[in-house]
Amino acid sequence: MNRHLYVWLFRHPSLNVHPWCHSYVHSYQFKQLHLKTRLCVLGQNDNYILHYILSNWSRKYCHRDTRMIWKHKTFQKYMEDLTKEYQTLGQSLQEIPVDEADRRDMTQRHAELAPLAAIYQEIQKAEQAVEELESMCKSLNEQEEKQLQELALEERDTIDQKINTLYGELYESLLPKEKYDKNDVILEVTSGRTTGGDICQQFTREIFDMYQNYSCYKHWKFELLNYTPADYGGLHHAAARISGENVYKHLKYEGGIHRVQRIPEVGLSSRMQRIHTGTMSVIVLPQPDEVDVKVDHRDLRIDTFRAKGAGGQHVNTTDSAVRLVHIPTGLVVECQQERSQLKNKEIALRVLRARLYQQIIQKDQCQQQSARKLQVGTRAQSERIRTYNFTQDRVTDHRIAYEVRDIKEFLCGKKCLDQLIQRLLQSANKEAIVELLDENLNLKIQSSVFGRHELKHI
Amino acid sequence: MGPWARMLWTLLSGLRGRRGGIQGWAFGLWPPYLPQPRLLSPTELVSHWTRVFEKRGIPEARESSEYIVAHVLGAKTFQSLQPVLWTQPLTPQQLQCVQELCSCRLQRMPVQYILGEWDFQGLSLKMAPPVFIPRPETEELVEWVLEEMAQRPHVMEAQDGPRILEVGCGSGAISLSLLTQLPKSQVIAVDKEEAAISLTCENAQRLQLQDRIWIVPLDVTSEGSWMHLLPWGPMDLVVSNPPYIFHQDIEQLAPEICSYEDPVALDGGEEGMDVITSILTLAPQLLKHSGSIFLEVDPRHPELVSSWLQSQPDLHLNLVAVRRDFCGKPRFLHVQKSGP
Repeated sequence: MNRHLYVWLFRHPSLNVHPWCHSYVHSYQFKQLHLKTRLCVLGQNDNYILHYILSNWSRKYCHRDTRMIWKHKTFQKYMEDLTKEYQTLGQSLQEIPVDEADRRDMTQRHAELAPLAAIYQEIQKAEQAVEELESMCKSLNEQEEKQLQELALEERDTIDQKINTLYGELYESLLPKEKYDKNDVILEVTSGRTTGGDICQQFTREIFDMYQNYSCYKHWKFELLNYTPADYGGLHHAAARISGENVYKHLKYEGGIHRVQRIPEVGLSSRMQRIHTGTMSVIVLPQPDEVDVKVDHRDLRIDTFRAKGAGGQHVNTTDSAVRLVHIPTGLVVECQQERSQLKNKEIALRVLRARLYQQIIQKDQCQQQSARKLQVGTRAQSERIRTYNFTQDRVTDHRIAYEVRDIKEFLCGKKCLDQLIQRLLQSANKEAIVELLDENLNLKIQSSVFGRHELKHI
Repeated sequence: MGPWARMLWTLLSGLRGRRGGIQGWAFGLWPPYLPQPRLLSPTELVSHWTRVFEKRGIPEARESSEYIVAHVLGAKTFQSLQPVLWTQPLTPQQLQCVQELCSCRLQRMPVQYILGEWDFQGLSLKMAPPVFIPRPETEELVEWVLEEMAQRPHVMEAQDGPRILEVGCGSGAISLSLLTQLPKSQVIAVDKEEAAISLTCENAQRLQLQDRIWIVPLDVTSEGSWMHLLPWGPMDLVVSNPPYIFHQDIEQLAPEICSYEDPVALDGGEEGMDVITSILTLAPQLLKHSGSIFLEVDPRHPELVSSWLQSQPDLHLNLVAVRRDFCGKPRFLHVQKSGP
C-alpha cells in the first residue's frame, strides 16, 4: 500500500474509518518521521509535499470519486499556471521583440495553450455561477420563496452537467493524443489450456461472438482471418480484423486474460453442480499503416503446401494455405481464408505487420515506465482483467472494480459492454491526468531542492 | 408472366430430371459412401468425404471436400464460412448437391472445374473444361509485370496507357488481372482454342472489363500470324504463360490434368520450346522500342532460351532477368527488345 496514505489518514482522523487501515496504523510513526525529514529538506516548500501526497492518494481513488481530481488544489494550480503562461506568452508576443526562432516556439506554445485556457475560463465562469446560485439559495429561507429556490437548484444542476462535459473536453485536450487510437485492429482470442478445457473453449466462442456483436453495434467492419473450432461448438483460437472509427481506442483495454466461473453443461461436474474456473486470452493489436512497419522480404520464409515436385503447369493443386515465418523474430502467421494463394499471403503479411507493430509499441511503453493500472502492453496482455461469474450472473472488471449484473446481456456485446468500455476510457483518462500532475510536481520539487542548494553555496 | 413462368418451370424440372439421373448413377456405384440419412453438419460432412476420398486415393482429400462443402454453402473456403454455419445441419437439397459434386471429384475432376469457378489475383473467374486452370505461380508472373510497370511512369501515364498482348489467354486470368490493376491499360488477348476465346469473353463481361480487351482467335505458331495483330499498333508489353511441358513428361501428369485439361495448353513440344520460340519470333515485329516480354517457363528453360536467343541475333532480344517462383524454381523470364 501507499505509505502516503497512512500519513494522510493520520492527518485526517475523521476519515479514519476504513476497516483495513488499522493494520497499518502502527507504521505511521515511522512514516511521519520520514515526512519530517523531507520537510526539513524543503523547509517552506512543504506545500508541494502536501500536493504530492494528495496527488498520489488521488490516483488510487480517482475512479471512486469523479470530481476528486479537478477539485484538487494541485490540478487547480496546474491549470492556473498554464493560464498564466498563456497570458504572459500572449503579452510578450505582442510587446517584446524577439528573434525569429524564439518567436516561432512561443507562437506554437501559445496556440497549444489557447484551447485549454478557453475551456478553463469557461469552467471558472460556470463554477462562479454555481457559487452565486448556492449563496442565493442560502438567503432564500422563507416559505413563499420555495419555488424560486427550486428553480435555482434546477439551474445549478444544468450548470453542473455543463461543467462535467467541459472537464471531459479539458482532459481530452490536456492529454497527449494516444498514437494508435485511430487505427484498425486485429483481435485474437485463444482459449486457456489449463483447467476445464471444455468451458474454456465454449467461453472463448462466447467472447469472440461478443466482440463480433460489438463491432456490429459500433458499425465497424468485422473480417474473419482465422477460425479454429474445438469439439462441441467451442473455439480454440480465432482472429479477426476490425476496421472503423477509433477502433483501437475502444478495444485497447480489452486485451488480457478473461476468467470464467461456471458449472459445465455436460459431464460429472454438471451433475455434481461443481463450479469450474477457466480462462481465455484476448490480444488486441493495432493495425499499422503500410509505412509504420517495413517488412524486409529477405527476412521472410514463406511456406506453401506445394513446395515439392515440378510445379507450374505440371501440377494442379487447390491448397492455397500460406504460412509466413518472420525469421528475425520467429513470429509465425498462417492464412487459408482465400482460394488465391497470393491473397492469403497478403492477409498473412498484414497480420504479421500488426504483430511486429505491437512489439514496437510494447518497447515504447516499457520505456515510459508508467505506473498506470490501465495500460496496454506486455503486462496488460498477461493480466487477469475481468471475471465472468455465471453462477452469480455477474461480470467484474478488476481494474476499475466495476460490476455488471446481467451476463447474458453483457455477452450480447451491446450497451452493457459499451458502458464498461466508456468507464475504462474515463478511468484511463483520469489516471493519465494524475500522472501528468505528478510529473509536473516532481519537476517542481526537483527544481526547488536544486534552487536551495544553489543558494547555500552562494 | 404466363409464358415466362412456364419456361422457368420447364427449366427447373429439366434440371431436376438431370440431377435425379446423376443421383441414381451415384447410388449404383458407391452405396457405402453415402452419408447416413440423418442431417449432417458441414464439419461432419467434410470429415466424411475426406475419409471417402482418402480411401479412393484422391489427392488433397481434405481440401477437396472442404472446398465443395463451402461452395454449396455459398462460401469460397471452409475457413471463411460463417462459424455459426459450421454446426448447423445442411438441408437435404444441399446434401444432395454436395453428393453430386463429390462424385465428380471421385472421377478425378479438378476441384476448379467442379466448382465452375476459381480465384486468381483476387478475381473470381469462371472455369470450364477443357480450358487451362491458372496456377498460383502465374499470380507471381502478374505481380512481376505490375512491379515493372510501376517503374515506367512514362508508359503508365501515357495518353492511352500501356498496350499489352497476351498469347494463350486461356480463361483470361492474366489479361483480366492486369486490366483491373492497370486502369488505363488495353489488352489484346489471343488463343487458338475456341473454348478459351469464349471463356475469356465471358469472364471479361462478368468483370465489366470488355471495353478494354480485344479477344482474337489466333494461332501464333502458324506462319505470318503476327500480320493479323498489326492493326492494334505497337505494344508496350507481351506477356504469356505458354504451354511449356516437355512432350515426354505429358504422360506422367496426374489424371486431373491429362484427362480434363486441354493438352494444347500444356504440351510445349520436344523441349517445351515450341510456343516460346514462336512468341519470341513474332514479338519484335509488334513491340515498341525497348518493349518487354514476360514469360512463365519450365525451370530448365532459362538456359535454353538464353542460348536460343544468342543463336538468333536478328531478333534484337536479350534475356534481362530470371525470377524464381515461391518454390524457389527459376520460373519467370524478362526478355527485352534492344534494336529498332
